[in-house]
Amino acid sequence: MQPILRLTSISRTFGAIRALVDVEFEIRAGEVMGLVGENGAGKSTLVKIISGFDDGYVGEFELDGQFVRLASPARAERAGIAIAQQELSLIPTMSVAENIFLAGENVPVFATQRALAKKAERYLGEVGLDEVDPGIAVNRLSVGEQQLVEVARLLAREPRVLILDEPTAALGERDSARILDMAKKLAENGKSIVYVSHRLDEIFNICDRVTVLRDGRSHTPRDASELEVKSLVELMLGRELENMFPPKRAVSRAEPLLKVVDLWPDGALEPFNFNAFPGEILGLAGQLGSGSGYALAAMAGALKARGGAIEFGGHCFLPRSPKEAIRRGIAYCSDDRKLDGLFLGRPINENLSSPALSRISSVGILQKDAENSLARSNAEKFTVDLARLRAEAGLLSGGNQQKVALGKWLAIEPKIILVNEPTRGVDVGARAEIYAKLRELADEGAAIIFASTDIQEIAGLSDRVIAFYRGMQIDEIVGDRLKAAEILAKITHPFGSGLEKAATA
Amino acid sequence: MTAGVIGNAADAGRKFVDRLVEENSKLVIVLIATFLAVLIAGMATAPNFLTIFNFKTIIRDAALVGIMAVGLTFVTLSGNFFLLSMKETAAICIITFATSMAAGYEFEISFLLTMIVAIAAGAAQGVLIGLGGNPIVVTLGAAGLLFGLASWWSDNLVVSFRRPHGAEWLGTGSFLGLPNITVAFILIAVTAELVLRYTKFGRQVYLIGANRAAGRATGHENFAMAIKACIIASVCSGFVAIAFSAQVSSAHVNYFSSEFGSSGDMTIMVIATVMVGGNSIMGGFGSTLRSSIGAVFISTVDNMMVLHGFNSGPRVLAVGLMIVFSIIVFALVRRGSRAQE
Repeated sequence: MQPILRLTSISRTFGAIRALVDVEFEIRAGEVMGLVGENGAGKSTLVKIISGFDDGYVGEFELDGQFVRLASPARAERAGIAIAQQELSLIPTMSVAENIFLAGENVPVFATQRALAKKAERYLGEVGLDEVDPGIAVNRLSVGEQQLVEVARLLAREPRVLILDEPTAALGERDSARILDMAKKLAENGKSIVYVSHRLDEIFNICDRVTVLRDGRSHTPRDASELEVKSLVELMLGRELENMFPPKRAVSRAEPLLKVVDLWPDGALEPFNFNAFPGEILGLAGQLGSGSGYALAAMAGALKARGGAIEFGGHCFLPRSPKEAIRRGIAYCSDDRKLDGLFLGRPINENLSSPALSRISSVGILQKDAENSLARSNAEKFTVDLARLRAEAGLLSGGNQQKVALGKWLAIEPKIILVNEPTRGVDVGARAEIYAKLRELADEGAAIIFASTDIQEIAGLSDRVIAFYRGMQIDEIVGDRLKAAEILAKITHPFGSGLEKAATA
Repeated sequence: MTAGVIGNAADAGRKFVDRLVEENSKLVIVLIATFLAVLIAGMATAPNFLTIFNFKTIIRDAALVGIMAVGLTFVTLSGNFFLLSMKETAAICIITFATSMAAGYEFEISFLLTMIVAIAAGAAQGVLIGLGGNPIVVTLGAAGLLFGLASWWSDNLVVSFRRPHGAEWLGTGSFLGLPNITVAFILIAVTAELVLRYTKFGRQVYLIGANRAAGRATGHENFAMAIKACIIASVCSGFVAIAFSAQVSSAHVNYFSSEFGSSGDMTIMVIATVMVGGNSIMGGFGSTLRSSIGAVFISTVDNMMVLHGFNSGPRVLAVGLMIVFSIIVFALVRRGSRAQE
């Protein structure tokens, strides 16, 4: 069968980084093609190229056997390619029907609400929202229903290829099931669906074929029926990064340094319970929205919790603000350094001393000598260029920014170090340095707890792993079981295959 | 000897110009050169501009606006935008002060009462802003409230008190030939700059202003900061109100709506001063020194234009031009210095 869309030897570089190398991709009419890969494997770059958002590639792009170059999203849309992105682009206060015809195509200029509603019904039916009144405002729908409206909006433009980029990342179980049903139904009606997801159970549930990306390279598409979870995971994971990680330690787990007791962060489905031991690196594994990040943020007072406490240093408490956590010796680095990890417009030395202003001042006066020596020694420990301490932090590269964002916490000499996504957007060299430094801090007696969506990072760095799935704490993985494949299985389909789960539910 | 000194100075000047040319875009240099040319030409041709008496007039005029601008700079630098209630805070303070003086209380008591009012007004606004209220909405609301109260209390009449009174030293006294209010401006400006540069509080102002979320994550909450910054700005307003009342031995709610600068509106003049100084409106970058220089600068241009016989229309226009000019130049200079790294 002839593919309707085919990409041949596509390469894309950003500066020195090769995001895609000779990637092949194709999709046939009426097919659901899964697109999977680890974070940073190049999925989003490829999706951007297909949907016209990125025109900086080298290679051939065929549509119906014709060579094309889609230089903008608008052109891609005219060619029949539509993308539903992770962030919704609906206008919350307008009606469902108005949102569906927002672009104003295929409708009369002065269409009444009723006329729009009538026209919208067909598309709502196609996405399984028959029962929704097209006249109500979008913000009265659930997030999952909004996602479906977004797809209905795209369908109104009659695309042939529809890209769904992690459509269930922010959704609960029931809404996710609706999305999957919709994708299957659309494919039966002849649409081609590119389905991007981290959730392997979904991939096996709906996809006809699967394309795997790894480190910017593609594998020949496989029929989903030929694959198993294990073989797919092997395709997704490389082995070449293994020597990046410092050797693991045999940690004595006699006396916990910190106990998390029934901590129930906002956004989690159930309370979490786990311990952390001195000298140990504990990895919280889970996909985006799985709850691992919420646990860290709640422990640091950066996210509200419904209840629970942490026991640490002879006290049992639940920090209400980062300030309280800092006072108790808990450092927390969020997953978004630009948002709340760095003062980009301020010099690096001010960033490095920022959590410890009380330590470097007496009666309210800053002691510049104390500050400089503190900044210098912490910069040195994290191999930040000492000559640039007075330069703005915003001028540093991603890797160096991350080192400053982490390094600033050395200033409070924390016993507990919480890090969410320690190496997001960080180049390989800086990653190795950050891993080594975290290991060193653990060796000095601190407990390191980090959350990551990167399986290799979790498997390579952690002494012990706790798996999270959709707001639930699933399992502890330790010892010989601590392997990437095992962890990946736990965080993608912890309850066995989709069918078994449906039976037990 | 003299030739050597002049040679050194010329050398230094050339180096400065070289650096300016090297680090900045042509646009910046053209802008600055044009502006300086207009300014110097204006000064040279203005009658009686280059006299000591006129110089004193310039800093005296700069003082009242300057003190309030220094106070407001804390709010702006900490990322809490502006207080649009500066002149209304001054209005309620001047009525409080004059009423108390007219009732026969000592200067010290009246000063204290006024400061209590200023602190209360600042704290209330600071709490609302710190809790997440939009600074524009909160302070516009506060402005109406404070002005309404002051106007109601004074029956919209002038409150005067008799000379001699205990506040004359502040209003009309002088020290080493400088008016005391000018001395106060210099002291306040220097103190504020030292606080910003060398204290923990000053550092927090910059950090929270540069990134509020990161400030919270490192243990510096904007709640406390917004309250402190608003109190500082309000206290500066209150102090200016007292100084002005002491000078004219009276008070009226409209003094700060009609008597100051080219536009007459104190709030506008104060905000203009902070902006002409080149402080970042988003916070995190700037200094009170910049605001002080901005005050003297605006006052100089205004004075020059008055001497040339311009009426208030062109003078307001000049303030507007200076704001636009300063925003463009500072933005370009900052981009230039970043590109250097």
